[in-house]
Amino acid sequence: MTAAAGTTSGRRSPLGAGLWPVLPAVIFLLLFFLLPLAENGLQSLYVTGSDGKAAFSLAYYVHLFSDAYYLGVIGKTIWVSLLATVICILIGYPVAYFMVRHAGRWNGAMIFLLVAPLLTSIIMRTFGWNVILARNGVLNNVLQGLGLIERPLRLLQDPSAVIIGLVHVLVPFMVISIAAVLKGIDTRLEEAAELLGASRWRTFREITLPLSLDGIATGAIVVFMLANGSFLTMLLLGGGSVVTLPLLIYQQFLLVQNLGFAAAMGNVLLVLAVISLFIQLRLIRQDGAVA
Amino acid sequence: MSAAGQWRRIERRLPALLLLAFVLVFFAFLLAPIAFVVLVSFADSEIVAFPVTAYSLRWYHRLLEYRPLLDSLWFSLKLAGASAVLAALFGVPAALALARSRSGLADLVSTFLLAPLSIPMILLGIALLYKLSAIGLGISFTSLLIAHTVVSIPYVVRTVVAVYRGIGRNYEEAAAILGASRRQIFTYVTLPLIGSGIFSGMLFAVLISLDNLSLSLFFGSAQTNTLPVVMLSYLQNQFDPAIAAIGTVQMAIALVALLLIERTVGLRFMSSPS
Amino acid sequence: MTQTTPKAQSSAEQAEPGLRLLGIRKAFGSVVALRPTSFDVPAGTMCALLGPSGCGKTTTLRIVAGFELPDAGQVLIRGEDRTYDPPQRRKLGMVFQNYSLFPHMTVAQNVAFGLRMAGMARAETEARTRRMLDIVHLPQHADRYPHQLSGGQQQRVALARSLVTEPSMLLLDEPLGALDKNLREQMQFEIRQLQREIGITTLLVTHDQEEALTMSDMIVVMNRGEIMQAGSPTEVYERPRTRFVSEFLGTSNILACAVLGADGGSLRLRLPGDDQGSGFTVAAAASRPVGSTALVAIRPEHLQVKSVSEAQPEAPRATVSGHVFRGATHVFQLQRPGLDKPLLAYRQVTGPVGETALSPGAEVALTWLPGTARLLEDEIAPEVGA
Repeated sequence: MTAAAGTTSGRRSPLGAGLWPVLPAVIFLLLFFLLPLAENGLQSLYVTGSDGKAAFSLAYYVHLFSDAYYLGVIGKTIWVSLLATVICILIGYPVAYFMVRHAGRWNGAMIFLLVAPLLTSIIMRTFGWNVILARNGVLNNVLQGLGLIERPLRLLQDPSAVIIGLVHVLVPFMVISIAAVLKGIDTRLEEAAELLGASRWRTFREITLPLSLDGIATGAIVVFMLANGSFLTMLLLGGGSVVTLPLLIYQQFLLVQNLGFAAAMGNVLLVLAVISLFIQLRLIRQDGAVA
Repeated sequence: MSAAGQWRRIERRLPALLLLAFVLVFFAFLLAPIAFVVLVSFADSEIVAFPVTAYSLRWYHRLLEYRPLLDSLWFSLKLAGASAVLAALFGVPAALALARSRSGLADLVSTFLLAPLSIPMILLGIALLYKLSAIGLGISFTSLLIAHTVVSIPYVVRTVVAVYRGIGRNYEEAAAILGASRRQIFTYVTLPLIGSGIFSGMLFAVLISLDNLSLSLFFGSAQTNTLPVVMLSYLQNQFDPAIAAIGTVQMAIALVALLLIERTVGLRFMSSPS
Repeated sequence: MTQTTPKAQSSAEQAEPGLRLLGIRKAFGSVVALRPTSFDVPAGTMCALLGPSGCGKTTTLRIVAGFELPDAGQVLIRGEDRTYDPPQRRKLGMVFQNYSLFPHMTVAQNVAFGLRMAGMARAETEARTRRMLDIVHLPQHADRYPHQLSGGQQQRVALARSLVTEPSMLLLDEPLGALDKNLREQMQFEIRQLQREIGITTLLVTHDQEEALTMSDMIVVMNRGEIMQAGSPTEVYERPRTRFVSEFLGTSNILACAVLGADGGSLRLRLPGDDQGSGFTVAAAASRPVGSTALVAIRPEHLQVKSVSEAQPEAPRATVSGHVFRGATHVFQLQRPGLDKPLLAYRQVTGPVGETALSPGAEVALTWLPGTARLLEDEIAPEVGA
């Protein structure tokens, strides 16, 4: 192919083919990603009346937002996600800090150990937690053996198991996010602060922490989004004690087959996801890095 | 060294040591479930009980006998391979075009191609099921293939963009100056250099597909069950160590794949989970 | 905008220039990278584009290479208009800043790449590759990979790769930046020799003025997208036309002098800080109004410092305010009323250090040989001091 013909714009690089090669991927996703989601969204706006005809109506949404149960589910979804996010931050930050500042050549091994669980089946991880948290599971056996408790703790089929399971799955994302930003912070800034008289804790609080806020924010968004969309953990570890939006949608879909209502709930979930996505994009744009 | 001096030394290192302890506990937490599953898979007992008293390979043998598991494994592998190939065919050209572009349009396209990562898969599952049923594909290998490709494309695009960007324009410019046509540049310079990126992206796609439960649930049937779906129903119906065995096998496959990715491309670029 | 052709190089004067740029202009969005620029590079010579970062030299090189298209203007290589040709068709050789050797190919494969793309027969390709590796003194390294070579060796492979296709022009993009000082000097010499032997027109981009002075037949000094001055190294160094050029190449003392009068081909000027006195003369192409300010540049090596007794009574005075001993030279700082920056003067050490040094605080007289004080073309608003 020859380069741009000799007209005005010097913009076209003589080496590229422009953005045309993205077309197949874009069309594929338009057809099988955007369109289905959009149609699904639309479904929620049409209620089939008793006459069998579908008419435009916000009935599903009205039902959704006026019933305390459903509001509770939406609230629980956000609450669970927030809780998981906060715990991930608290647990993940020290690990990330260690990885970047103290691990040295173990850094690679740590990343490997962080990522490996992500690729094991969630069934397996859930099964594992079952083994650990069950009435006669590992944890209870150990605690009883050490004399710390008399009767076994009921951890499974309980919100605590769900939170543990969620955090277990999501904390690697948080660690990686924070570590990426921590790596970019020049240690000499901390050294300068210490020379000027700041204690280690002060230095951390006033220098390191503010500079790593970006990583925390990015990680938080990712974890929040993933927690929002998860339902397997709730299903397998919660036993019904924790009902979040995705789980409800799943149950509605399987049991009731009320597509319109499920779609309405799905839309609410989708809106949550899109808002999170936008926040995430704003954060990335500030860094200057593109996906 | 005086006692005060020695104490000082410990005091200085205390934070780091505490941190180390924390990190060790953390990794114990992270790896515990997996470790126990592997342990239980070698248990010589009818039920899942802890502690494990006797060991055997019986559950691995059981795996080989349990047809649904084997069939679904084979099915899943086929599906994973096919969706990875499709994702690469769509994703690689897109990634190459996007990596060097700086326009607003490129940003938009980039966000769009990576969006499937951010949408809860349950929504995608429902929506796709209805869409595909409406156009007559219903529950079939093709539907599963389409669904898995949709979620695999972002992985391929992200990996290849990262690798391609890391390489820099200079090699292609050098080739151009030396007289290579666009096709020659792509074949002799670009492709060999990003090959590892494509390989890793496809490997990610395979792993994602193999483990995908949320999407596959919606397309399950006697003929089209993927491994995770079969495992789930097994878990809910028969709670025995066979699950542990198949989980261990799957994990072994994933670990090997991960090692391959680490060797070829490295895992650094995973630090931007966007 | 300047259009310049350096002094004739005997028979090359009448031949087609190796490279000719006419009115090349380039902007990236609202940022103007290159104002309309024109210059010629005579065939077979080495021309250095010299300037600070952002001056437009790299943009110029990339336009010549074909990686960027100019907004206006023409690029003529050996007389042919190549302005809109893709890089593949321009038959150029280029050495990149970090060499850009293909990491997945051996040294031999790297060097042979251009020949392969042109479809040359295998036997011929191998022969030429081998010969080229001999020329750059790397015959044993044909099967090594780039990462196994040192920086200097990679540089030579890059050179070999670019020259084996017998291009009409060679482009060098700050090729020596990554090397340490000794290696750099050695490579400067080798590249120059190679270029002369082959007789290939070469365009070198550098920010290192020493490099430009050492290696090239012609220097084009650029700043902020325009050419400040173009000429042979001697010309640009000894007869700088603007303040920028005189300060970018070597060091210069810049003096804002008052114009006392014009005298057919020369101006009479008075140093800042002098209220009376007849001043001194400089050669001037055009006259300046009396009372206006003119900038004069004198290089420290030309500024002679004499004791008051040895000098003419009208010689301007100064006080020694600082001194640095540099081994082969003394560097003196000299203060005068009316200057906001001290003057610098170099004096060769010709005998025991004590004899040629001057003590701080000493009052001295300044003189210089006629012709070493240059009038600069910069326009100065009357209020601005030195």
